[in-house]
Amino acid sequence: MASKINPRFSEELKRYGSVNFNACYNCGNCTAVCSLSSPDNSFPREMVRLSALGLEDELKQSLKPWECYYCGECTTQCPQTANPGELMMSLRRWLTAQYDWTGLSGLLYRSLAFTIAALLLVAAGVLFFARTFGFDVATLLHAGHRFEMLAIATVFLVIFIPNLLRMWHFTIVKQKVRTPMMSYITALPELFINMFTQRKAKDCDEKDNFRWLEHLVLVFAYLSLLFTTVFLNWFGTGSLFIIVLGYVESFLISVITVHFVSGRIRQNKSLNKFSQPSDWLFVIWLLLMGLTAFLVRLFIDLNILENNIWMYILHLTVLAQWALIIVPFGKWTHFLYRSFAHYFARIRSLQKS
Amino acid sequence: MKERIGVYICHCGGNISDYVDVEKVRQAVEHEKGVALAKTTLFACSDANQNDMVEDIRTHNLDGVIVASCSPKLHLTTFRNVTERGELNKYTYVHTNIREQASWAHSNDKEGATDKAIRLVKAAIAKSRFAEPLYPNLFEAEKTIAVIGAGIAGMKAAAALADKQTEVLLIEKEHRVGGHTATWGTLAMTEESGSTLTERIYHDLLRRENVTIMTGTEVISSKGSIGNFTLKVRKRPTKDGDPVETAEFTVGSVVVATGFDSYQPKEGELGFAQSDNVITLPEFRHLIDRAEGKELVYNGRKIRHIAYIYCVGSRQTNGENTYCSRFCCTSAIHASILVKKKFAKINNYHLNRGIRTYGKQELLYAESLAMGDLYLQWGEETPPAVVMEGKGATITLRDILSSNRELELEADLVVLVTGMVPRADNSVGTLFKLPRGRDRFFNEVHMKLRPVETVIDGVTIAGSCQGPKNITESVNSALSAATKSFSLISKGTLETEPIVAEVNSDICSWCGKCAEACPFDAILQKEVGGKTVAMVNNSVCKGCGMCAPVCPPDAINLINYSSEEIMSMIDALA
Repeated sequence: MASKINPRFSEELKRYGSVNFNACYNCGNCTAVCSLSSPDNSFPREMVRLSALGLEDELKQSLKPWECYYCGECTTQCPQTANPGELMMSLRRWLTAQYDWTGLSGLLYRSLAFTIAALLLVAAGVLFFARTFGFDVATLLHAGHRFEMLAIATVFLVIFIPNLLRMWHFTIVKQKVRTPMMSYITALPELFINMFTQRKAKDCDEKDNFRWLEHLVLVFAYLSLLFTTVFLNWFGTGSLFIIVLGYVESFLISVITVHFVSGRIRQNKSLNKFSQPSDWLFVIWLLLMGLTAFLVRLFIDLNILENNIWMYILHLTVLAQWALIIVPFGKWTHFLYRSFAHYFARIRSLQKS
Repeated sequence: MKERIGVYICHCGGNISDYVDVEKVRQAVEHEKGVALAKTTLFACSDANQNDMVEDIRTHNLDGVIVASCSPKLHLTTFRNVTERGELNKYTYVHTNIREQASWAHSNDKEGATDKAIRLVKAAIAKSRFAEPLYPNLFEAEKTIAVIGAGIAGMKAAAALADKQTEVLLIEKEHRVGGHTATWGTLAMTEESGSTLTERIYHDLLRRENVTIMTGTEVISSKGSIGNFTLKVRKRPTKDGDPVETAEFTVGSVVVATGFDSYQPKEGELGFAQSDNVITLPEFRHLIDRAEGKELVYNGRKIRHIAYIYCVGSRQTNGENTYCSRFCCTSAIHASILVKKKFAKINNYHLNRGIRTYGKQELLYAESLAMGDLYLQWGEETPPAVVMEGKGATITLRDILSSNRELELEADLVVLVTGMVPRADNSVGTLFKLPRGRDRFFNEVHMKLRPVETVIDGVTIAGSCQGPKNITESVNSALSAATKSFSLISKGTLETEPIVAEVNSDICSWCGKCAEACPFDAILQKEVGGKTVAMVNNSVCKGCGMCAPVCPPDAINLINYSSEEIMSMIDALA
């Protein structure tokens, strides 16, 4: 069955941040330098080609954009400055929007105005919420803690599970992968190893292991801070160990994200050259999360939060924007989709053998 | 009869002396009749030996020189010049080849090789005894030059010749000048229109007093040869009832610039002639040059999606046009940019076999890619399939650039990117007996070293009559052909080799066999003392010798290869 060309797709992809990929004249330098390329598996030109031709179904069924960690070698070597690395990045954004059943993800990626409106709406909601509680610190801290737990559960059930099922549908069912149920279990290590260690990113860019290490520390700091605030109730605990743990975690998050933000400002490598609003939002809000959490706990320890309730409201606003916008619909999802892509790829490979 | 001949036997490093005992050869010939001097030399062609030879000619008062060495193709001219420096007539020099014909051919039989070399040198001595001094034939050359074809190449050649203060006849079959170029709109790279370009040259030519432009005029016959071509031309009537006028002109040389025909696809080739929406590249150019408004409309249908199928009529694996037509990739891409700039909503699909926008033209390819045009590449084994549906076309092809995926696209208009083919009308080629290559375009003498000359002396070729060329390349070749044509006759006199055939009119009784055998049309009929005899046109004869053996009464003699000379050589060899 012949696939039908859709020349309008490249216009669509531009709204997700693709840069100049039409300039590609198919020399294949990008494929030659990409460490993921093998004789049977071509990166990243195949994706550039499918994008140029607008073969949406084939793109939707592909896991390849997630296998790329943006070392940027292809973009550096491209004689046409067609930015294949950035194309892979924009395909990840586009795929995120395709997986999302609500359609909000696509709206947020395509429209900065919509993103700002969403952020303002959530901020207003937080203020309204704070006012109904009469700006009382103890009540707010308690309610904030409850909100956090509720948000995690809701996002997980209402957004992530359906979206991951959609991803599975596109990449496994539509690809007509026939595999025994057992392979879903035997492939599980792939899911968790990649989710927590990004082992494959290390293979991708052997020259720059520092970035991988930074990212690894950030992931662990973020996840453990989440655990520390939600399950160990950092803002409410009296345990010195937990208090210090929370300080260390939020400090690490702040330091690493400051480094990431400065990299994007300096545009020091291809990865950082074409930041989209969604990229800025993700890394800046993560920084704000770490920083405001650190300050809230500091204010508690200095016993000045009572008189500076704005500090907690600020933190809660950042938290709510993070949990309601960036986590379910924004760049946060790459944490899930990327690791599931490795998982599904493993399942696909089990079918072949 | 030569009586003081100098013989030089070359070692050629070891190329000869490893197999031929050169000293034995020397001893075998030094006492031959007429030999005054016999020497061996390590390299006869070396400067030192050449100087020794000149010195020997003077001190030993030599009247003939022989070198036994390599092929005459390599060093005949070298030693003729040495002889001339020694103040002997250079045509008295005799060359004999004991390398290719003795040492290399008989490297397994040294004695045999030596024996053969001795006999070859003896034969050369026999010939040398009869060698006569000869002098080049001199002709007066007509200084007018004809240029046939007033396309961009012909017009530029005419202008370049006019600059050299020579008379120029510019002969054009059509009733207008400018050829194909004049019919094109905006041209690639320079962004001028074709007609602007040709009009500019035309007005330049009109200002020049030494250029005569004859439009609507065909050359119907050509007689004579370099220096003196007599061209008969016929003026085509512009309207019915006008008399047909003919005229004759004498010119010294001719620049042929008759151009090309556009390839016409066969009916059914990629949907051609089966639908109005399948057109050729020139038709598409004319469409977009004229199109106005917000939308491109063709046959009452709005055109949004245009598919360009490349290499139609070029690079054929099963047809006879195996060559690349050179201009079409650039031209099609340029047209696709023009149409997209004029009508923003157009989508272009380039179904190509590898893009050849060589040199600076690559910029157009980059521009087109940046505009978002799609390039799909098919292989010669799997051409695109065009199916007409309603007013549009559905095209399927296997795209090499997408791992041979089968792709489908819909097009409102299919443009067949047609290449160049030789002129169907080869009348000018036939008149001058211009040889054609396997591509059926006119052939040059040497692709690299003599790119505008033909084997017919005095006839050069310019522009796309020689093979597909873009305008830049056509003008390049036109300027080169003009210079070459002019330099052939610029001195006003012509020198040709004296080694030609001569007819003994006492014996000849005109049977015409020699004229039939002559590949160069050099034999004419002539009345001498009331009888018809054959006469050789010295300016055309190449001295090939084809006529001599077919002459029943043996009335033809090839100068420098007289029966006397050849018979004495045979005697010496036996």
